[in-house]
Amino acid sequence: MRYLNVLPSTLRTSYAREMQLLDSGFAKFWAALGLVLMLGLPFFLTNFWNAVANQIFIAILGALALNLLMGTTGQISLGHAGFIAAGAFTVAAFVTHFNAPMVITLPAALIVGVVLGILVGLPALRLKGLYLAVSTLAAHFVIIAGLAQYQASISYGAGFIISPPSLLGWELGSERAWYYFLLGVALIVLLLHINWLRSAFGRAWMAIHHRDIAAEALGIRVAQYKLLAFSASTALTCFAGALWAYHTGFVSVEAFDIHMLIQFLAMVIIGGLGSVLGAILGAVFVILLPHVITFATEALPFVNDIGGRAFEIQVGLFGVIMLLFLAFEPRGLAGIWARIRFYFELWPFKYRSWEA
Amino acid sequence: MGYAHVSLMLVILIQASFYVLLGMGYVLIYRATRVLNLAHGDLMVFGAFLFYQGLVITSGSVPLAITTGILGAALTGAIVYLGLMRPLAGYPVAVGVLATIALAIVLRSVTTAIWSGQTRYPAEYIGQLARPIELVSGLSISAIDAVIVLTALICILGLPLLLRRSAIGVEMRGVSENALLAAQRGINIHSVNALSWAAATVMAAIAGIFFSLKVRLGPDIWYVGLAGFAPALIGGMDSLRGVAIGALIVATAEVLAARFIAPQIALAAPFLVLLVALWIRPWGLFGSREELERI
Repeated sequence: MRYLNVLPSTLRTSYAREMQLLDSGFAKFWAALGLVLMLGLPFFLTNFWNAVANQIFIAILGALALNLLMGTTGQISLGHAGFIAAGAFTVAAFVTHFNAPMVITLPAALIVGVVLGILVGLPALRLKGLYLAVSTLAAHFVIIAGLAQYQASISYGAGFIISPPSLLGWELGSERAWYYFLLGVALIVLLLHINWLRSAFGRAWMAIHHRDIAAEALGIRVAQYKLLAFSASTALTCFAGALWAYHTGFVSVEAFDIHMLIQFLAMVIIGGLGSVLGAILGAVFVILLPHVITFATEALPFVNDIGGRAFEIQVGLFGVIMLLFLAFEPRGLAGIWARIRFYFELWPFKYRSWEA
Repeated sequence: MGYAHVSLMLVILIQASFYVLLGMGYVLIYRATRVLNLAHGDLMVFGAFLFYQGLVITSGSVPLAITTGILGAALTGAIVYLGLMRPLAGYPVAVGVLATIALAIVLRSVTTAIWSGQTRYPAEYIGQLARPIELVSGLSISAIDAVIVLTALICILGLPLLLRRSAIGVEMRGVSENALLAAQRGINIHSVNALSWAAATVMAAIAGIFFSLKVRLGPDIWYVGLAGFAPALIGGMDSLRGVAIGALIVATAEVLAARFIAPQIALAAPFLVLLVALWIRPWGLFGSREELERI
């Protein structure tokens, strides 16, 4: 689980051990226990919470994709709500025009994502920081406007209804079926993601993040790897968008507004930029927060009068929490987790010696 | 050239005036703190709502309402700088951008919580706004449009002059060029920056007041304010005179797209133009090349 941790804390004595994903009995035990718990979870959840869990899985895919770009490669993107929309609309278009099954639409969404990633990533070869942020935000608005135009011309603005899909004969009709499907997808993507990060790709991306000029000097083809990061990220985002379309069952351009973008940004910032564990924690946090707020307003009698403004309060809280994390905990939830872990690992000592 | 063309050009001119007011705010803030303020649209909405509240309280006194809006906006801008942007100074560029996005949604939810999401028409409180002023026979412009264009003209001519000639303007330029050196020379950079933020927020509020009088007022008009970063970037983020040209380009594209293509495309027109501009000339028409961190 080393790549899920912020700081490696075990001493390794061989390369084979270094390359193992689960390198100790302890880690293996917890991974197995976690998997069993995840497999058993739907039996303890109501249909509603099952749906929430499914939303979390899709959000994790999106957060991982955004984290790959912003956290690992250091390329800011404000266009990810647009890419989610592009994925969802790929499904909508294929289903509406060709009645295509899932085995065709999902790869199609991936291809759309790669193409979009190259288009949006091209400016990144010339632009950095602020200017890249602006060009991706502009791309977001252009994509959304184009899709709105498409939606208006095809369905007279009403949106697209997508019936529950079946994958190779397996009907994804219930939330529980979706849960196992999405759990499998999320695990595969997570494994792929971790393996990217520890391969030459990941090292190149991190080098570009830290100092692109130095990376170029080291022989990394910065342009190539930037485009690769963009297309990998947007492909995964479009894929998440496609799953989102199937799971929600309804695609309309209004869903992909600036709030969705803010939700994804909140996931990677609150979770901790550059950390895989952070992206997962951030996705869980952001999806659960509205439900926690609803729960709190129902449980506490004296805040009952906010009823009609729950949405504003929820959105405002996102903003406040994002600001607090930006200012006080730039390493996010993953950083907090690492600190807690360290405290227990080092106990009764307070600090680790400089070279451990 | 028929009147149809001239009136189309007038529409473009009015739209460009909006963009001048908004874009100059972006430039002022960028010059002061090197931050692209994505909360500008929501600051605009906030200022416009303060103006509306002033109208409601004074039951239609325009001078008092405008004073409320401007003073409130100035205070908000200064508070945003001192409370949020100053502590975040020295962080990576991305953090500044993300912080303004977070600020934007906080402002939006505060605005909606106070005034609700309902659409208002402050123009109802003031009669005579749409009264046409005849320029030449057969061609007229409404009173509010005339005021908008005049205000934008005053800003285009006045603001660069203010920055070049007045003591505070010189201080602003000094802080923008080299904050450390300016501080060494005894300029209080934080009050100067707070002033820049306040001025930019006031300009946003003025644009918001005009928009709410001309079209409507609601929390959803932040989109209009956000689009203002397109002319600022096309003109060059650190150039005030560039904004005027950028505003004309963006307004032309938007109005022509609305007239000849489709309203949906018109909404995205500023951003499409911006994408093209960023690809060809990322530092903007009049911006300094060194501003762009190049690889």
